[in-house]
Order: sequence, then structure tokens, then C-alpha cells
Amino acid sequence: MAVRVTVGNVINKLCESLNNINGESMSNVKVNRRKFLKMLGWGGAGTALAGCDMPTTVTLEEGKEEVVSYLMPEEYVIPGIGVWYASTCTQCEAGCGLHGRVREGRVLKLEGNPDSPINHGNTCLMGQAGVQAHYNPDRITSPMMRKGGSLQNVSWEDAMAELNKRVGSASGLKGEKFGMVTGTVSGHQSVIIDELMSSVGSKNHYVTEVINTSVWSAVCRDMLGDELPKLNFDKAGVVLSFGADFMGTWTTPVHYMGEYAKFRKGKRGALIQIEPKMTLTGANADLWLAANPGTEGALALGVANFILDRGWNLVDVPSGVRKALEQYNLSAVEKVTGIDADKIKRIASMLTERAPALVIAGTSTENHENGYDSVASVMLLNLIMGSVGETIEANSRFPEKSMRAKQGSSKDLLLLAKDLKAKKLDVLFTCNTNPSYSAPAVLQLDEGLSNVGFKVAFSMFPDETTVQADLVLPIFSGMEDWGTHVAAYSAGEPVLSLQQPLMEPLYKETRGFGDLMLSVLKMRGKDFDKFADYYGYIQTAVVNMPASVVGSVSGDHTDMWTNILQTGVIKAKGEKGSLTPKLVEMKYKPKQENAGYPMHLVPSTNLGLWDGRHANLPWLQEAPDQISKVVWGSWAELHPKKASELGLKNGDFVRVTSASGSVEAQVYVHKGIHPDAVAVPVGQGHSEYGRYAKNRGVNPMKILNPLMERRTGELATHATRVTVSSAHQHGKLAQMGGSEVQMGRKFVRTVSADSLRRTEGEV
Amino acid sequence: MQVERKMLHRHLVNRMRGQIRMKTVTIKQILYLSFLAAVVALLPAKSYAELPVPAHITPPPGEHESPIVPQPIEFPHDRHVQDMKINCMYCHTYARRSKVAGIPPTSKCMGCHKVIATDKARIQKLTEYWEKGESPRWKKVHDVPDYVHFSHEKHIRKFVFDADFPVQDVQQVCGVCHGEVRGMTVAEKKEPLNMGFCRRCHEANGGPGDCWKCHK
Repeated sequence: MAVRVTVGNVINKLCESLNNINGESMSNVKVNRRKFLKMLGWGGAGTALAGCDMPTTVTLEEGKEEVVSYLMPEEYVIPGIGVWYASTCTQCEAGCGLHGRVREGRVLKLEGNPDSPINHGNTCLMGQAGVQAHYNPDRITSPMMRKGGSLQNVSWEDAMAELNKRVGSASGLKGEKFGMVTGTVSGHQSVIIDELMSSVGSKNHYVTEVINTSVWSAVCRDMLGDELPKLNFDKAGVVLSFGADFMGTWTTPVHYMGEYAKFRKGKRGALIQIEPKMTLTGANADLWLAANPGTEGALALGVANFILDRGWNLVDVPSGVRKALEQYNLSAVEKVTGIDADKIKRIASMLTERAPALVIAGTSTENHENGYDSVASVMLLNLIMGSVGETIEANSRFPEKSMRAKQGSSKDLLLLAKDLKAKKLDVLFTCNTNPSYSAPAVLQLDEGLSNVGFKVAFSMFPDETTVQADLVLPIFSGMEDWGTHVAAYSAGEPVLSLQQPLMEPLYKETRGFGDLMLSVLKMRGKDFDKFADYYGYIQTAVVNMPASVVGSVSGDHTDMWTNILQTGVIKAKGEKGSLTPKLVEMKYKPKQENAGYPMHLVPSTNLGLWDGRHANLPWLQEAPDQISKVVWGSWAELHPKKASELGLKNGDFVRVTSASGSVEAQVYVHKGIHPDAVAVPVGQGHSEYGRYAKNRGVNPMKILNPLMERRTGELATHATRVTVSSAHQHGKLAQMGGSEVQMGRKFVRTVSADSLRRTEGEV
Repeated sequence: MQVERKMLHRHLVNRMRGQIRMKTVTIKQILYLSFLAAVVALLPAKSYAELPVPAHITPPPGEHESPIVPQPIEFPHDRHVQDMKINCMYCHTYARRSKVAGIPPTSKCMGCHKVIATDKARIQKLTEYWEKGESPRWKKVHDVPDYVHFSHEKHIRKFVFDADFPVQDVQQVCGVCHGEVRGMTVAEKKEPLNMGFCRRCHEANGGPGDCWKCHK
């Protein structure tokens, strides 16, 4: 017989046992339930009072902790009261402005800089966790050199001497034998890297980012004439997003979240999201649909065809295009995409009735072999709905071309792997980037790295790439270093965002990235002697910039610099282009063959661990995934239908196998995924990268097939097919929130979709 | 001896305010108390009177004894406060502006001691620090845990400025928590400064009782 354990039962049991003790030796007073609870109450109060008068020696190390006064305080510094300094966030590439609260010489809290047109005073959770990267216990605190196979601490003198020997002007290093890997770079860092590349005479600057918008940018460039046009969410009545998680990981999430709030205010725009796995954006949508992965373009063309059929379009298309679209009739599209004809009609009517429309495409649409064609199909909807010039505008570009962002792509990751394999590189610099973690295993990037004679890692943490280096140079955190940043997406108002140190470096044996680059340039015989350090370089460079950049800042050079330090952003006079819509040739062909691998793998990303770079920040490990609520680990997301078909339930371990490898994770069953897809999040599965990240979860990037988007050469991260099989093991999934339903408690009141449609007059 | 004297003082103050009801006073106790009073009166003693408790403050009962914490320089509070009549807030200048009272910056010490008492060993040690460009590494004596939000500024505002209490007598207010600093060399902790002590004072003096006022 099963025993039900309840609080009541436990109390009764306790009473019983107390009575037994009493019965034996103490008194004849029987303890009943009521008396026991009473006793507990008094006991609790007593404990609390005693706790109040606990000597503070229990909680404090009195007489041991030190308190050190200022030698000579600044006039405006008051201990205990924070001073806010402006800087720039370096947690992702969006370039949000920051204000950092500094107290007693230590940075304690980060908030958004209200003067920044990118984030308007807001930050995301990754920005908030910036302090944990800075104070991280796993930071590298001394230069290291490989000696006898292992990395050993060395002095800076020795490290720089070695660097000079290998890359200095006397080393004979020249040409394409030298390569440098970074993430997205902009501002003076970009300028100085360009200087270095030209001083060696190499073009091998690999700018790698796994989370990117390369395909979208390519289509925008070809069809509109602007790589990252300005998206006016606030002017749109309806947003149709094909897998663009603009509140999560697409382009500039904090900015778009603000724009989304404007879009929902007032007349309340409607959001339709088409994606194989529900993202944070999808969870906010009014209509969420999962088309068969890789067929999103067909759906877009189907909607376009229906709109043209009805004559709802605002802009006409050439007759050739019209004719080509005819094959995308409702029944054909329904068959290919798995989306009901009714739903297609509904999307078309929402786009029309709620115009102006904004149609965008992101990660899960871009990263297929036919990604370019799919995104081009999506863009066609913008053209026929007259969105161009209305909800999509030409963006203002930063006037100084050399300082504009070099946007990272996965194409460069593939290229790096290829060049390494071909033994093209003798010296490789890697800076704050981790290609060894991101590259699919079949690319054999690690083997390629071993072909490089001399690898230098400019790094804060012992990540997978850094531990393979021959020379490790520990660099400042984002809160210790100087820099300037120009966001790739300028939000219509291009700014130069200044990154200034919020505190003194924590570790004596770390150096600024810019300082190290200047040292290398001096080794190469470049004339940078007039700059003692990167600070001097930036200061001189910024105040001497043309009026198109610093024209808005008043004062002579000294005042100007002070003003810039205070505001953190310089509003530049942007170069505004114009959009020239034109159609591109589309060879759209949905790919459906599976060759024994029936499922689609979705390597999902979220605002948190991002591409895995934040797995070493405990706050972000602890922050539950926005959809699955899983913390500190990986999971494999399956549709309830598929789960029951495979006989799986929440917490069961499964093996996800592709032609290139397999990973094992626990199942999370959720309706927000295509029945033929399995989503494994990117971010975990580090073999290195400090105590919080190492040996935790799995990395789905490792099992990706080496498929490329056909037109842009990007890594088609969403094109890999897999099988899912039980690993015959079960465990409890580490998940916040025990239930997906409200258990009838009506925390969030809801109405049925039908009655809502009636009240909104849609039916 | 000083401890006993202070306890007696507190006891008497509390009695006057009706905090302690004297239910039974035996002749023995009266004799003991008068003996104690006689001893106190006969002490070779410092040349100052008891530090009075300001009339608008009801000090919470509480006792604390802790060993004297050795400091890098044996700073004589008594010399500065009692003999030189320097106000607490002249050196602990942040007390009225911030949550912390602040250890005076070394530059403040040197403001006087560039010329005053330069022959003394302690000043020579201080000057050494100054010339090396360092501050002495003092040991914390008064502290509350990190999960307690205590603000000097709020307490000084309430008990000094808002109460129109003469600022020159501020040591009487400081003394409620910090004891009689004018009789000490290096600071000693004389009150428990734990939650019970805080709560009793808040109850007696109308301080806020919400948990989140201190545990933010």
C-alpha cells in the first residue's frame, strides 16, 4: 500500500513520538496536534529572538577585515555613495551604452546609458552579468608560454620577447602566413587590427560569429541596397517574422525590445512568428506557426501569391515574377510547408488589413542551404506590401568607413578551418573568440590548429581555443579597458560609443588589448611611438576626428574629451543612403530528403549563454531558459506527439545522432516545436572555459554536418538531419517552475482565440 | 573599572527613564551601589565628566566586550577628542553624507601632522606611510554584515540635524553606538551592534520596523 506523505501526516507522527517519550519518563500531558503547533510557534519565536542577539562575531570577522582609507580623496568621491561612469557593453556585438556604478574604486552594478540611441538606458541580462565576467575567478592572471607541451606562467618581458622573435620586423613574417581571428570588431580596435594586417601584408582577418545576420544582410544588400536597413517596428501594424528572434539573439535585441514595446503600445500591432522552435519572440507572438524546417521561403511565396491573387498588394511585380509565383498556390504550399491553407490565408489577410507590414527573416530561416532564397522570398513580401520606405528605411551609416563594424560570419569560421587544414598559416592571433568551441567537429579545427607554428591567444579565460595556444596573453576585462565601438545596426542615428575603464585592473599581470596591439605594431616597426598607450591613441584619435563625427561635441580638445567621457556616446552625422528595391533571381527549392535521418536539428540560441561565450557566468547559467526554464545544463526539446511516438517523457535521456556525431541530453517535451524537429541549445558542452562552464551539458554545434548556405557560403546550422533514440536512462530535469499550466489559479486570465477574434471584429 | 562605571551609568539612565523597574531593592544592593559610587568618585580618573546621553535618545540596553584590536598605528582617540576637542565629524567627515562614516584619508591626517607632533614615533610612522604613498591598513572594529543596510547619514540627520542637537556635542550621539571613544586610544567595540540592539533602539526611538528598511 502506498503511504501518502503530507504535512499533516508528519505532524501526527511527531506528536505520536513525543507522546511516547512523555509516556515513558516525563509527564502524563499528551501532546496533540494543536498543542504541538503551539509549541512550534513559541519555539520559532524564541529562536528568532535569540538570533537577534547573536554576537556579531558569528557573522563578521571583527578585527580581521581591513579597512583602508583613501590616501587623498577626489573631491566628488564619498565612500558609500556610488559614482556612475559611462562606458560600452562588450557582452555581445550590439554595442549598447552602459553606466557603471563605481563605489570605493570597484564597479558594482551596470545599467544602460540613456543617451545611447541603441539601448535607450536599458540592458539585457547578459549586460547585467558583465560584472561577473570582470570578477570571474577563472580569469587568466599571468602570461603563459608553452614549454615542454604545457602552458607555464612567464613574465611579460619573456612573453613579449617571444612575441617579438616570432612576429617582430626581424622575424621575417610576411604575407598570408599570418592570420588573426576575432569576433565582430569596430571602432579603433578595427582600425588598429587593419594596421597590423597591412603591416604584415595579410588579408587573413577571420571575423567569426556563429550568431549572425549574414544571410539577411546579403539579401538586404542585393534587394534593397543597404546591408542593415532600419526596421521601424513602431510604424508597423503587423510584423511577420520568419525565425527572427529579435528579442533574443537577432541583430540588436535590446534595441528591438524597445521598438517592440512601441509597436505593441497604442493601436497594438500584431506579431506573427514562423519558426521550427519557439523562441522568446515566438512566445510573444499572436500567431505562432512551425513550417517544415527549410520551407519558410515557400510559405512566404505562398502568402505573396495569395495576396497578388486577391489584388491586395500595394506594389506590382513584373509579369515574369507573377507567373513564377503561380506554382505557389495554396494546396501546393500547404503540402510543402505543412501549414494549413486557412492559416496562409489568415497571414495574408492580417498583412493586408493591419498594414503597414514589416516582414523579416532570421536565424532559423537564414541558416539552411536555401537560406538566401528563403530570405529573398520573405523580402518579396515587403516589396509587394509597400513596406520599403515605410517600415523598412535606409539606415544612416557611420561617416568614418574604417571604423564601421566588421560583422562576423560563420563563413569566416569555415574559411578558417579550411585554411588551417591546408596548413596556410604559420602565426595565428586569436582574440576573445572561441572558434575551437563553435566549429562543427567534422571541420577538424583543432587538428588544423596544431598545424600552426605559433598561436597567440589574447584572452581573459582559459577557453578551448586559448588552451591550445603557444603564447597566452591575458587581457583586461571590458570594465578595465579602453575602446571605441560603432554598432553594425545604427538605429538610424550612428554613434561612436566610448568604452572607458570603470575601475583599475584587478590583476597586475593583465594588459589592454589595444595596448598589446600597439606593442605588436611597434615591433613591426610601425610609427606609433608617439602613443605611450592605447588610451593616448584613442584620446588623440577621437578629439582629432572630423566634424562629421565629433561636430556635436563642444569645447576645445580637453573639454571635448571630458564631455565625451561623461556622455559616453558621440552622435555622428550619419550618411543616409536610399533604398533601391529590386528583385533577385531565386532558385527556390525546398530540400526535404532525409537519407535515414528523419528529424531536423535546431541548434537553438537564447539571450543568456548566447553562442556559448557566457557559459562561464553563473548568473546566466542560473537564469532559466526563457522557454524550457532549464538551468545549468542542456536539454533536447521534442514535440509531445514525437515524444509519445518514441515513448519518451520529460527527463528521459536521448541520443541525438547526425551523420557527423551524436550528443546525449534529457528530453524536454514542449508544444512549441515542429513535430519533426529536435532542438538542442547552443552554449553548454565546454571541455574547458573555467569551473562554471567546463564539462556541463552538450554542444550541438559539434554534430552539425558541414553544409553551406548555397549563395553566401555561410554555415547552414539548421540544415543538419538527425535521429533521436532513447538512451534508456531517466533523471530529473533541472528546471525552474514545476508546471506549464496554472492549475486553475487564474494568475493570467485568458480568453479563447475565437472569442478574441469576435471581439476584435476579425470574424 | 571604566566598564563598571559605564554600566552603572547606563543602569541609572535606564532607571530614570523607567526602563528597569526596581521591584525589590535590598539593603545589600543599596550598600553595593553606594560602595561602587564611592569607588567611582575616588578614581584617580580622567578629568572629564560622564558623557551624557542626549535627552532625545533612549539608548537600547546591551553590552559588549571584545579584546582591543591592535592597529598599524595606535591612534589616540582620547588625545584628539578629549584634549584637542576635535569634533568626530571633522575626521569622520562622511558620516553626515553617506552610509559609512569613513576612515579619514591620510591626506587629512597629514594636514595637521606635517607640522604638529612630528617628533612622536606614531607620527613618524604615519609620515612614512604618506611618503610611500600608502594608507595604513586599519582593522575593522565596528561593522555590520553585508546584508544589513545601515546608514550613518540617516541616523545623524534624525538625531542631530532634525533634532536641532548642537553639532559640537555630536559625540554624545555617536556614543550611543560607539561608546565613549574619547576615553579610548584605538577604537573599541562597546555595544553589541547586532539585530537585537538595533531593534530595541528602533522600538524605543520610533525607528522603522519593516524588515526591508535594513535588509534591502
